[in-house]
Amino acid sequence: MTEAGQPLLELKDITRRFGAIEALRGVSFSVRRGEVVALLGDNGAGKSTLVKIIAGGLEPSSGRMIFDGVERTFASPAAAKAAGIETVYQDLSLCTNVDVVANFFMGRELTKNVLGIRVLDEKAMEDICAKAIAAAGTRIPSLHVNVEHLSGGQRQAIELNRFVHFGGKLVLLDEPFAALGVEQTRRGLDMIKRVAAQGIGVIVITHVMAQAFQVADRIVVIRQGVVAGDIAGDKTTPEEVIRMITGDAQMGRQASA
Amino acid sequence: MTAITPTTLSATSLSPRTRAVTEFVLDNLVWFILATVLTVFSLTIPQFFQIGIFSNIIEQSAVLGVMSIGLSLLIIAGHLDLSVESVAALSAMVVAMLFANSGAGLKYVLTPEWLVFPVSLAIALAVGAVIGATNAFFVVRLKMNAFIVTLASFIWVRGLVQKLPDGRSAQGLPDALRFLAIERYNVLYIPLIAWIAILCFVVFAFILKRTPFGRHLTLIGGNKIASFRAGIATDRIITVSFILAGAIAGLAGWLLAIRTSGATANLGTGMLFQAFAAVVIGGVSLQGGVGRLSGVFAGVLLLSSIHTAINLMSLPASYTQIILGLLVLAAVLLDTLKLSIRQRLT
Ligand SMILES: Nc1ncnc2c1ncn2[C@@H]1O[C@H](COP(=O)(O)OP(=O)(O)OP(=O)(O)O)[C@@H](O)[C@H]1O
Ligand SMILES: [Mg+2]
Repeated sequence: MTEAGQPLLELKDITRRFGAIEALRGVSFSVRRGEVVALLGDNGAGKSTLVKIIAGGLEPSSGRMIFDGVERTFASPAAAKAAGIETVYQDLSLCTNVDVVANFFMGRELTKNVLGIRVLDEKAMEDICAKAIAAAGTRIPSLHVNVEHLSGGQRQAIELNRFVHFGGKLVLLDEPFAALGVEQTRRGLDMIKRVAAQGIGVIVITHVMAQAFQVADRIVVIRQGVVAGDIAGDKTTPEEVIRMITGDAQMGRQASA
Repeated sequence: MTAITPTTLSATSLSPRTRAVTEFVLDNLVWFILATVLTVFSLTIPQFFQIGIFSNIIEQSAVLGVMSIGLSLLIIAGHLDLSVESVAALSAMVVAMLFANSGAGLKYVLTPEWLVFPVSLAIALAVGAVIGATNAFFVVRLKMNAFIVTLASFIWVRGLVQKLPDGRSAQGLPDALRFLAIERYNVLYIPLIAWIAILCFVVFAFILKRTPFGRHLTLIGGNKIASFRAGIATDRIITVSFILAGAIAGLAGWLLAIRTSGATANLGTGMLFQAFAAVVIGGVSLQGGVGRLSGVFAGVLLLSSIHTAINLMSLPASYTQIILGLLVLAAVLLDTLKLSIRQRLT
C-alpha cells in the first residue's frame, strides 16, 4: 500500500562494540513494507548482532533506528515485539521443558476468565496451534509432546509457524532453514513470500546463495561490520555477491555503476 | 485433532492407550510409591494401620509441606531459596514474641481476641515477604548468585531469630490461634493446620498449571533467554517468585508457631534439608523447569510416613537420617530412569 512511501525500517550508522571487538562499524540500510531483504555475510560479519539490535535484545553503541516512521530504541524484546517485530533467532529460542502449544504461545498465552481469575485457555491455544501447524504441513507427533523430544527441524518449524501466525510488521529470520530438509525449506521460502505479500517486511539471514536469490527483493551484504553491498536481487549475480562477501571486488557493481 | 493425530506418528509402536497409562504412572510415580510404602508398613508394622496414625502423618506434613511449596516454585523457575527454613523460624519467632504469654512473649492482647488470628498471619506473611524481597533484590537487581544470596539469608536470618529474644524462647500462644492445631477441631480426622497446607497445595498447583504466571515461571526455568526474547517479563516474575517463596515460608513459620505453641531460637532447624528432599523426591528437577506440586506433596507425605514408621518401631532417630539420604539418591536415580522411559515413548 505505502510501497512508495517511507521505509518500514531505516537503520542509520548503527555501531556495536563488544569490548575491543567492533562487531558493527556503521551499518545503514532500510527495509520497505512487503519487501524481503536477504542479509548475507561471512561468519562473524555481524549479522546476528544486527538482528539482535533491531529485535531489542542488544543496545547499539551508537546509531539511529527509525521504525514505522518513528525513531525508536527498543529496551527489550518485549518492546520490539509490542511494536510489531517478530524474530526467529539463530540459536533456537524454544523452551524444551514444555510442549509444542506452550512454545507456540510463549509470552502471549490466551486466557479466559474463570470467576475473575485469568486462566490459561488450553483448548483455544491447542486448536489454533494445530491449525497453524497443519496449514504449514509440519509433521509433529503430538502437540503435547515436550519440545526436547522433537528433531531440530521440527523445532525450527515451530518457530517459523509462530511468526507466520502472529505476523506483525517486520519479521527477522536469522538462518531459519539451517536445520530444515529440502521440502521444509521450500515451504519455508514460500512462507516468507506469503508473509511479504501481506505487506510485512522481512529480513532473512542465510548462507545459501540460492535461497537468497529465490526470495529476496534486495540483497544486503555485511562484511566486517559494514555494508559491503546493497543491491536489487534481479540486478546482480551469485558470483558478484560472493565477491562482495569475501571482499574481492571492493564495492561490487554499486561502485562501478 | 486435524493432521497431528497419532496417525501421523512416525516410529511409535505403543498404542495410544498404553502410552497414556504409562504417562500417567510416570507423572504420578511418587503417589504410587507412597501407596506401596503405606501398604507395606500397614502389613508389617503392628499398630500402623489406624486412622490416628494416618492423621498424624498428615499433621506432621503440614509445616514441611507449606515450606516445600515456596522452595518448589523457585526451583521450577530455575533458582533456589536456601533461606526458607530461617525465614519460617523468624516469622514464628516474631509472632510468638508478640502474642505468647511466657518467656520472651510480650503478651499483646487484641480486642476482640480473635483479631490475633488475621493480625499474626499478616505479620508472618509480611516478615517472609520482606526477606524474600531482599533476596530478590540481590539476585535480580545486583545479578548475584541465588545460592550465595539465600545461603547468606539462611545464616543471618537465623542469627536474628536467636538475637531477637536474646536466646530465650516464647511460649504459650492464645487459644484464638491454638485451635488450628487442637485435635478437638479436626475435620475428617485431619487437623486444621493440615487442611491449610492442603489448601495451599491446591491453590499453588492451580497457579502453576493454569495461570499465565505459572506458565511463565515454568518457561523461565526451562530457558530464560528464550522466555526473555518471547517478551516475558523474566525479572518481574523471578522477583515475585522470591517474594512468594518468602511469604509462603512465613506462613509455614506461622503454622509452626501454632503447632508448637510458641517459638524457640532453634525452631525448625534441619527442615531445609527435609524440604529439599521432599522436593527432589516429588520429582522437581533441580535444573529448573520441571515439577508438579502434587508430586511434592506426595514426597512430603512419604517422608512423614517413614518418620512415623521408624518411631513406631522405636528405632533410633538416626535411622530416619540414613533413610532420608538413601531416598533422595533413589529419587534422583528414578528421575533418570523416568527420562529414558519417556524417551522410548516418543
Ligand atoms: N556477546 C558478545 N560478546 C563478545 N563478542 C561478540 C558477542 N556477540 C557477537 N560477538 C562478536 O561480534 C562479531 C559478530 O558476530 P555475529 O554473531 O553478529 O556474526 P554473524 O554474522 O551472525 O556470524 P554467523 O554467520 O557465524 O552467524 C563476532 O566477531 C563475534 O565474535
Ligand atoms: Mg549469526
